[in-house]
Amino acid sequence: MPITLLAQLSLRNIVRHRRRNLMLLMAIAVAVLTVLMANTVIRGMQYDLREQTVSNLNGHIKVHAPGYLDDPSIARGFELAAGWEPKINVSEVEGWAARIRIPAVIMSERETRGIQFVGIDPAQESISFLSKAHYDGQPLNTSSDRRIIIGKEMADQLETQVGRRLVIITQGSDGLNREAGFRIAGVYDTEGTAIEKIFVFTGVTALQNMVDAIVVTEVSVRLVDDAFQLSMLDSLLRFFADLEVKTWQQLEPLAAAFFLFAESAIYLYFFIIMTALIFGLVNTLVTSVMERVHELGMLRAVGMRPGAVVMQVVIESTFIMMIGVALGLTLGWLIFQLLPPVLDLSSFSEGFEKFGMPAKIHLRLHVSDMVLITVMSMVFGVLASLYPAKRAVKISPLEALRL
Amino acid sequence: MNDVVVTVRGATRTYNEETIPVHALRGVDLEVHRGDFISLAGPSGSGKSTLLNLIGGLDQADEGDVIVDQVSLSELNENQLSDLRLEKIGFVFQAYNLLPVLTAEENVGFVMQLQGMSKTERSERARETLASVGLEDLADRRPGDMSGGQQQRVAIARAIATKPVLLLADEPSANLDSGTTEELLQLLKKLNEEFGMTIVTATHDPMVMAYTSRKINLRDGAIVVST
Amino acid sequence: MSDISLTDGTLTAVAIRPDIKRATPELWGVAWRNITRTKRRTWLTACGIAFAILMMTFVRSLQVGAFIGAVDNSARIMLGHIQLQHPVYEDDPAIENSIHGINDIIADVESRPGVEIVSARAQSFALTSSGERSFGAQIIGVQYEKEAVWSSLTRMQVDGRYIEGPGEAFIGSALARNLGITIGDELVILGTAVEGGVAALVADVVGTYTSGQPELDRAIVQVPLQDFQVAWTLAPDEAHTVIVIAESVADSEELAPQLGRAGLRSLNWRDLQPEMVQMMEMKLIGTYVLFILVAIIVIFSVVNSFMMIIFERTPEFGMLMAVGMRPHHIIIQLQIEALLVCILGIILGLGITAVGVGILSETGIALPAQAGELLKSMAMPERMYPVFSFGALFIAVPVMVLGTQLAALIPGLRLRHMHAVDALRSAE
Repeated sequence: MPITLLAQLSLRNIVRHRRRNLMLLMAIAVAVLTVLMANTVIRGMQYDLREQTVSNLNGHIKVHAPGYLDDPSIARGFELAAGWEPKINVSEVEGWAARIRIPAVIMSERETRGIQFVGIDPAQESISFLSKAHYDGQPLNTSSDRRIIIGKEMADQLETQVGRRLVIITQGSDGLNREAGFRIAGVYDTEGTAIEKIFVFTGVTALQNMVDAIVVTEVSVRLVDDAFQLSMLDSLLRFFADLEVKTWQQLEPLAAAFFLFAESAIYLYFFIIMTALIFGLVNTLVTSVMERVHELGMLRAVGMRPGAVVMQVVIESTFIMMIGVALGLTLGWLIFQLLPPVLDLSSFSEGFEKFGMPAKIHLRLHVSDMVLITVMSMVFGVLASLYPAKRAVKISPLEALRL
Repeated sequence: MNDVVVTVRGATRTYNEETIPVHALRGVDLEVHRGDFISLAGPSGSGKSTLLNLIGGLDQADEGDVIVDQVSLSELNENQLSDLRLEKIGFVFQAYNLLPVLTAEENVGFVMQLQGMSKTERSERARETLASVGLEDLADRRPGDMSGGQQQRVAIARAIATKPVLLLADEPSANLDSGTTEELLQLLKKLNEEFGMTIVTATHDPMVMAYTSRKINLRDGAIVVST
Repeated sequence: MSDISLTDGTLTAVAIRPDIKRATPELWGVAWRNITRTKRRTWLTACGIAFAILMMTFVRSLQVGAFIGAVDNSARIMLGHIQLQHPVYEDDPAIENSIHGINDIIADVESRPGVEIVSARAQSFALTSSGERSFGAQIIGVQYEKEAVWSSLTRMQVDGRYIEGPGEAFIGSALARNLGITIGDELVILGTAVEGGVAALVADVVGTYTSGQPELDRAIVQVPLQDFQVAWTLAPDEAHTVIVIAESVADSEELAPQLGRAGLRSLNWRDLQPEMVQMMEMKLIGTYVLFILVAIIVIFSVVNSFMMIIFERTPEFGMLMAVGMRPHHIIIQLQIEALLVCILGIILGLGITAVGVGILSETGIALPAQAGELLKSMAMPERMYPVFSFGALFIAVPVMVLGTQLAALIPGLRLRHMHAVDALRSAE
């Protein structure tokens, strides 16, 4: 098939009707731009959600004693020797953290709340949200720090503040309740309030002393890249053969479901926006065919096969799409460069924070998504040309003789 | 070597327009020999255009057969018919039917491109052919920038550049004034006499008929006079 | 048959006289004939407009349906459609901020139309313990015979059974796990009663539930209202909230303002489920943004379409001008055509929405089972029933009408300086 001739004819016909094709190109560019922008926001929310889930003490992978998830008590703790960090896939690991996490009750002079009481080694918590939170007062110093830090939301609920003492009741390793007073070292403020309402932190050694057990209840690892998760999971399943090894997806199925759902959102937006576009595209292509009945008839008369005539319509459609997509993607990329890297919706809707949703979205533009949009647009361009092509194939060479 | 280029045997063609059958051709026999310059004449509806279309492989007979250069057209499918037109037949249309987006040279060259000829060869051949119809200076113009006579010459150049065995012209003078028609006919005559090109035209212009060597008259789908 | 035939030119010329005002009815008729002459293009353009309208009405109907479904579902878990409380109870849920005379209130509200069932609750935060383990939890005193009727929490993956008599407790499964208790075990509840007294209650755990919502599963204990009233030293007709279940969310909207009075605050579902309201507003904004973008794309293609119309009909316009029409008459003619195409699109879009929503609001849409966890967390019901929501039309229709008018005008303005002879000549 004389592809070069067909391409040449298509291109020149597009240029010939540049005014109306410009309109079409703008429509395609706006459509592509829209899909791309929607995608940067969705991708941003998707990756923020994962980052948040991983940071919320899950890590990429977490290790518990069997049964801990059903009965999160100190009795389900396990011992760790000094220098316990597995020396596996070292280059892929950002950090390890061992913690105690047990339910407890916290009491101020006025209020009582149920909490998750977490003993940490502050030096290890570079892998969790604690390293990025804002503090009123100060964070914990060492693993033997006997003070606590609490969330801003909880401080409000308990009507307390930095420097005050709170009483915490939790169950010791012998099954008996322990009650102890703790001074508030700092109040942490993080994106969303769900965490702030639940977690209270102290030094892990301090907590071990309180519950009389030199154990931890969880070990969490954060990886340099999400891509290493599977191989690390494999290694850890063997390394901690006696323990339960779970990914963040297993621990937070809801977040994992949202993460996967966002993956299909790009297709949804693409479909809606492109459907709006296809009527205009088909309209132009059909007109383009009908205007050129004489021309196409002549081409048939001098010996062009019907398939080649159809091909001409398909090529024209694909060309228009290609130019429009290139325009839209370039525009989208430029706008993305001009946009702030973090979209802050908190002024737009003050409700976000209140309902524990992060109000900041770290916009993300993936090259692979741009490729995906391009490929899908091309497929769409070919689909849009099917109906006009059906008209074109019916053109008889006798059309050349008509006036 | 067989000097019969086209044989038409008992060709009939009926169009079903809005349930009323129109008998465009009612059993026509015709032989076209190499070097013929034929005019098909007759009033509108006489079947001259239909006959031309059958000979050119643009349309197929309901009954009977049309054989072009020893190939029976009734056995060919759409693609084979396309290929036959491409290789063996040159067309000149009443409305010229040039591609507005191509220059004169490209309009002449693209049929050769369809045939798969290399770029340099077809460019050379296109310029040669344009020169032979007296348009060497207008090779880079587009049809919109040419007169009707010039456009019709480009159309003829396009038709003959591929060296077809048969040149078909449908009312070639219809859109031209008498002076231009005269020039066109002299060009066709030259092609016929000097290069031995076989030409069949459908026309009701007496000027055209005067130039042709065989005159065939049709009426109501049948040949009434043949010289 | 060629789509770009110009053969109707003569007809148009006869029908339109230069005197536009007197010829207005003919003008509409001719416009109609023109848009039906190029059927394919008219349909394609109208379909684009219809799609934009559909985006707004159908999608909105689905969204509103989903939200109403979620609101209703979540109201029927625990919250109710309307809650009547002491005026400051929401801000300060102290044991003292209670309401009295609940039996009269219940009798009054239950007699009103649109009300399905009414029940009262008293609640307070307390420490719950079993053996050596203790956890804080919200203790809710309920009228269990009534809650058993309407509260779906009482039927959610229940182990054991719901409360059937005094001295029994129904608790969240996560709390049970944390406390290490199973059905038949004793639960000790210690809280602060009115005026700082100690409220103590011992109850047999008869059942646990799993709602999938951590905050419900982890920290709620239900006990009979009478038991609560005794332990917390409340009067027999004293409670903290009166929960109203209406026949529908729509009924509750009408009811809520009628039920408040001095000393009794009425909270409707918007007050009780503010996150739903917030989410609905966010969705609405999102839908409008999507609609505007779809509208822009469609309007671009309408401009495109009118460029093609003008290009094809230039010879015809030349002829009309030759017989005495003015350029602005032709522009008006085109604007009318644009309006007709737009109306066609709007009718088409609304028609599809009406039929689609009409059918689906009867049959409902089964939500995919894979999305189960996700939907449960958002309190979505298993089937969704779209609800006609044409409010968005007040924006969608004007946007499309103005957009198409503008789209026809942009290429049409070029006709202002057109001369009959040039236009006729462009026929080639």
